[in-house]
Amino acid sequence: MGIRAANIERVKRRMLQQAVAENLDVIRGVPPRALRSGMRLWRLWLRRSMFVLLPLTLAGSSYMIANGNARLPDAPAVSPASQMSMVPLVKQASLVAPDALDTPERMTSSAFPLSVRRVVLDAGHGGSDPGATTTEMMEKEITLDIGTRLKTLLEQNGFDVVVTRDTDRTIALRDRAVLANDSKSDIFLSIHVNALEKYTDSRGIETYYLGATSDPSLTALAARENRVSGYSVSDMRKLLEDVYADARRDESHELATAVQKQLFSSLRKDDAGLENWGVKRAPFIVLVATDMPAILAEVGCISNEKEAAMLRRPEYRQKIAAALFEGIRAYAGTNQSPPTKGNEQNG
Amino acid sequence: MAEILNVGIDLGTSRSAISASNGERFVVDSFVGWPVDMVARKVLKREVLIGHEAVANRTMLDLHRPLERGLLKEGSEKDVEAVRELLKHLLRLVSVNGAIDAANVRAVVGVPAASLRTNKQYLRNAMKGIVDSLLIVTEPFAVAYGLDALLHTLIIDIGAGTTDFCVMKGRYPTEEDQRTLTVAGDSIDTQLLKLIEERYPQANVTVFMVREWKEKHSFVGNAPGPVVVTAPVKGVPTELDIANEMKAACEVVLAPIIETMLDLLARVEPEFQERVRNNIILSGGGGLIHGLPQALEEALRGVGGGKVRFMDDPVFIGSDGGLALAQDAPEGDWEKLSA
Repeated sequence: MGIRAANIERVKRRMLQQAVAENLDVIRGVPPRALRSGMRLWRLWLRRSMFVLLPLTLAGSSYMIANGNARLPDAPAVSPASQMSMVPLVKQASLVAPDALDTPERMTSSAFPLSVRRVVLDAGHGGSDPGATTTEMMEKEITLDIGTRLKTLLEQNGFDVVVTRDTDRTIALRDRAVLANDSKSDIFLSIHVNALEKYTDSRGIETYYLGATSDPSLTALAARENRVSGYSVSDMRKLLEDVYADARRDESHELATAVQKQLFSSLRKDDAGLENWGVKRAPFIVLVATDMPAILAEVGCISNEKEAAMLRRPEYRQKIAAALFEGIRAYAGTNQSPPTKGNEQNG
Repeated sequence: MAEILNVGIDLGTSRSAISASNGERFVVDSFVGWPVDMVARKVLKREVLIGHEAVANRTMLDLHRPLERGLLKEGSEKDVEAVRELLKHLLRLVSVNGAIDAANVRAVVGVPAASLRTNKQYLRNAMKGIVDSLLIVTEPFAVAYGLDALLHTLIIDIGAGTTDFCVMKGRYPTEEDQRTLTVAGDSIDTQLLKLIEERYPQANVTVFMVREWKEKHSFVGNAPGPVVVTAPVKGVPTELDIANEMKAACEVVLAPIIETMLDLLARVEPEFQERVRNNIILSGGGGLIHGLPQALEEALRGVGGGKVRFMDDPVFIGSDGGLALAQDAPEGDWEKLSA
């Protein structure tokens, strides 16, 4: 066997060992090696730190005792209160109520002086990706039209607006998220239109925010909408790990609730048969990858003939835009007075 | 003691291939169907149909394609059952007399590069009782292992559900060495069907027809000639030229593949980048797209040039690699990996 062949055999043996080790980890339910190396380092640090921390603690306490005793005659027994930095009474209260740690309260926007000044509008699909289609119209056209109308309304009312697209062009979901994040916007709204292949008699509206779902139909819907994401599965995993425990999700839920409420109450007036499918969670890429509170509104159902006919009417699309605007304003109103253009405020 | 049968299995979204240590190799369409009612059962005279047979008789079947993007879907008992049927079928095909003793089978199965641990666990559960021991590896790793392409190589495996990338660095690939895109052969089918329907609204075309056309005529770049296919228009078989649609549909996958390829190459240690650029291997059915190696080489010109090769035996390249792994794994390891 030549040297090269022997090297290849050695590399192969090592790789096989690693492959087997990874499989055994899966069988045993052990965390991935990448995570475990971090845990190992932490445990190692803790073990080694004993050798450093223990002598330091002993030396420190000896010093304090010695110094304390030496200074007693000179130093006042009690320092004046004015020289101390005061801990607010509210925080001190937590010290005497350790049980509170077990039941943390959900953080909401009301705890912070948040501002909704800049809004990202994402007209779903576009270019080579038409979205849901009928013989007469395509989702990408409807979303762009409603987005453009909503942009005008928001700007007229003092909001800054960033759009992911203002023409019929293909733009990857990843790029939409990057654009939104780079724009340092406060909220993100993605506009879509539903299509139900099997239930063409149904029509309704629904609004999504980021979250896991066990509903197979929602998983399928998210998979459809995420199809041209440009993200790999491993990218997705990292993104999900970052955001699932995020307070942003609560904000997104509040925004989704406000928008869904306005959409349904406003559009129901024109169509008594419109169903309220509510606020739901689903892992749409644009919701995962954006840094701000983000929602995806399915503002209509193109597969239903009656609703498709209504969506063809400009007045109805204007009404949808107005309802979305009211939803955003209602959400913004819970945090602040109406925005003033150019009034920078940190969240 | 009965003779051990080692197998390598490429469990794909569209097709699944098996290579066995007894020299047998088979590929089947990854479709499993059960007769929808008593009438269908009577006509088909079978409890379950698999592969091409299932596709051909799909109107009478509850048809399942259990591997969405190369992964077993969570929570669907029917899909788990379908995967089990598919695996049993593959093993029956390679057995000498059509009967397999699970206790004597050791399998290496390839999955998409970025499969989650939970996906691997589902697969392991689904294979209980079908094989004695199971080793799950990423598909591009199996390809690289089979080709001895273990160092300074980039494998791009374009399947139906996923496109997998893996930079081989002489070690078992880690997460950072691999990528999975969900832009793959199925994306081309969807786009092609849509474009043909737009251009020929009267034509009656299904995704199965489109898939067949793609496998024969797919290309990127300059059209090698007209792409003429036959489809019923108002019931009359009619010739349609779909060259433009084919080009547009195939090029849907080009940008994401180039972007990911360049991104992965840029993450390789600088002194090895040139070697990896000159050692890019295309595998999987998507690698058969005419003009794809040239298009990738064109994109590589912007970063100093490179060479893209396509393997002659794309259908079995993954399962052959799996078989090589199965045969090389020591006895002691197999005992630990019981399914």
